[in-house]
Amino acid sequence: MDIQLDKAPCGYFSISDSGSILTINQTLLDMLLYERHELLGRHIESVMSVTNKLFFHTYFYPYIQMHGHVNEMYISLRTNAQQDLPVLLNGVRQQRDGETVIDCVAVVMRKRIEHERDILHSKTKLEELYQATNEANQKLEILHEEYELKQQELIRINLQLETMAATDPLTGLHNRRFFQVSLLTQLLSFRETGEPFSLLIIDIDHFKRINDTFGHPAGDAVLVHLARLLESMAREPDIIARFGGEEFVVILPGTDQDDAILTAEKYRSAIASSSCGEHTITVSIGASTVCHGDTDETLLHQADTALYASKSSGRDRVTHSKQLVAAQD
Amino acid sequence: MTDNILVRNNVNVIGTGTQTIVFAHGFGCDQTMWRHVVPNFISDYQVVLFDYVGSGQSQINDYDPVKYSNLQGYAQDVLEILDALALKNVIFVGHSVSSMIGLLASLRGGSEYFERIVMIGPSPRYMNDLPDYYGGFEKSDIDELLTMMQLNFIGWASYLAPIVMQNPERQELTEELEQSFCSRDPRIARQFAEVTFLSDCRSSLSEATVPTLILQCSQDSIAPVEVGQYLHAHLKNSTLQQMAAKGHYPQLSHPDETTRLIKAYLASK
Repeated sequence: MDIQLDKAPCGYFSISDSGSILTINQTLLDMLLYERHELLGRHIESVMSVTNKLFFHTYFYPYIQMHGHVNEMYISLRTNAQQDLPVLLNGVRQQRDGETVIDCVAVVMRKRIEHERDILHSKTKLEELYQATNEANQKLEILHEEYELKQQELIRINLQLETMAATDPLTGLHNRRFFQVSLLTQLLSFRETGEPFSLLIIDIDHFKRINDTFGHPAGDAVLVHLARLLESMAREPDIIARFGGEEFVVILPGTDQDDAILTAEKYRSAIASSSCGEHTITVSIGASTVCHGDTDETLLHQADTALYASKSSGRDRVTHSKQLVAAQD
Repeated sequence: MTDNILVRNNVNVIGTGTQTIVFAHGFGCDQTMWRHVVPNFISDYQVVLFDYVGSGQSQINDYDPVKYSNLQGYAQDVLEILDALALKNVIFVGHSVSSMIGLLASLRGGSEYFERIVMIGPSPRYMNDLPDYYGGFEKSDIDELLTMMQLNFIGWASYLAPIVMQNPERQELTEELEQSFCSRDPRIARQFAEVTFLSDCRSSLSEATVPTLILQCSQDSIAPVEVGQYLHAHLKNSTLQQMAAKGHYPQLSHPDETTRLIKAYLASK
C-alpha cells in the first residue's frame, strides 16, 4: 500500500462483497490495536460488537449493495482490547481489477459522538416535553369545553330564574317588580326623547264578592281570564302586569292622554261584554299620562286617584287623572 | 380497494408462468434487493414483488402504527396482496423477518394460499431465551441497536420529529430525506426494528403445515446456525439447507447459489 494511504489521518479498509477484509491501512490497525496479518482475510464482523453487526447488516450492507455507496454512517468498531471505537464511515462499492470491492474510510468520532448523544438526549427530552405540552393542552381544552357548557347552563338557569322572578305565577303576566322596572325605563326614555306614555290601573269591580261567593278557584279563573283578554288586546310594545290582588297595570308607550282614554275605554267595554264561564265582570280604570317632572310615584298616584274616582262614581268606567284636575279647575 | 392495495404496497408483477413466486424483502430493505435473483425466475414463473408499508415506494400515508405494531399487520397485507391478485398456491420467498411474516400469513389465511415457503436467513426470535433458546441477541443489544439507529437518523430525526407532527403535508422533506436511508421515516424505521427484533414466533411454528425450505447462511450473525436448526426441528415439512454463502444477504452476495438452491427445492417433490 502506498505510504500516504497507509499513514493517512483516517482509517482505510476494503472488503469483498462477502465481507472479508482485503486491505487495511496502518492508521486503522493502530486504532484497532491489531497487526495486519491478524485481520487480513477475516470478516469485517470480527471488529464489531453484536449490535454493530446487526446494524451493519440491516443498514450498511443492503444499502451499499443497492445504492453503491454509504455516507456518514456512525458505527462502532471493536478494538483488540474489546473497547468500542466510534467511527464515521464512508463507503463506496466499485469494480477494481475485475473484482467488486467495498472501499471504506473510518474517522474516529469520540468527541463528536458525545455531542451527538447530547443532541439525541435533548431531542428525546424535547419530544417528551412536546408530548407533555400537547397532553396538557388537550386537558385544558377539555376543561375549557366543560367550562363553556357549564356557563351556558348557568346562563340558561339565570334566564329561567329571571323570568320566574319577573312573572306572576297565577296569570303568567309580568309581576309588580317587573312593572316597576319597566316604568322607570319608560320615564328615562321620556326624559331623553320626550315621547309620551300613559299608565292604566285596571281593577275588577266587586271581585271580593266572586271570591266569597264562588270560592278562590273561581276568583283565580276570573283573574286568568282577564289576563288573557288584556294580552289579546295589547299592542306589541305595551307592558301588562299584575299589580297585586285584582289590580292590573298597563304601560302604553307612545300614547298621549286622548289615546290612553280611548284604549282604556276599549278595554273596559271588551271586558264588560266578555264572559268568564258563568261570571260577567266589569272593571274600573284609572289612567295617567306622563308630564315633565313626573316620577314613578306621581304617575302611579295620579292613576290611582283616577281609579278611585272611577270607583266612587259608580264603577265600570274610565277616568284620566287630567280629567280630575280639569274638573277641579 | 384492489388497486389501493397494489398501490399501497407498490406491487409489481413480472414474468410468465402458471406458477407464481412472491418475493418478500426483509427489514431495512425494499423489493430492489431481489434484483439479482429475479431475472433467473421470470422465464418460468410469474414473479410478484412488493414493498411493505413504510418501506421502498409503498404509500407511507397508509402506515398505521397500531396495525403494524406486530408482524400480524404485515401478514395481513401479504394476504391482501394475494387476494388483490386472486392468487392461491403461491411460492413465497421471504428474506429475514419476511420468513416469519409468510409463516404467520399461512396460519392466518389458510394453507391454500401457499404451496411452499422458502425462508432465507429466518429467525423465529432474535433475542436469547436461555437456556432453552439461543437467538443471538440480548435485549441490551437490541436497545443499543435502536439507539444506534437514532444516532444515525439524528440529522433528520431531531429535525423532523416535532415539525412533521405539525406539518404532515410537508412532503418535500420526506422525499428529500428518503434517499438517506432505505426507510423514509425514522419513526417507522424504529417501530419496524422493534417489531422485528422483539418478535417471538416460536409458538406458531408447530401449527405450520406448508412445506418449507430453510436457507441457512454460514456465519450469519443475524440468524445464526443454531436458529436454523431450531426452526428445522420445530417446523413440520421443513428442509434445512446450509448455504456456502456467508452473511445475511445471500440473494445479494450469492445470487447464483440462492437461485440454484431455490430451484432445486422447487423441482423436488
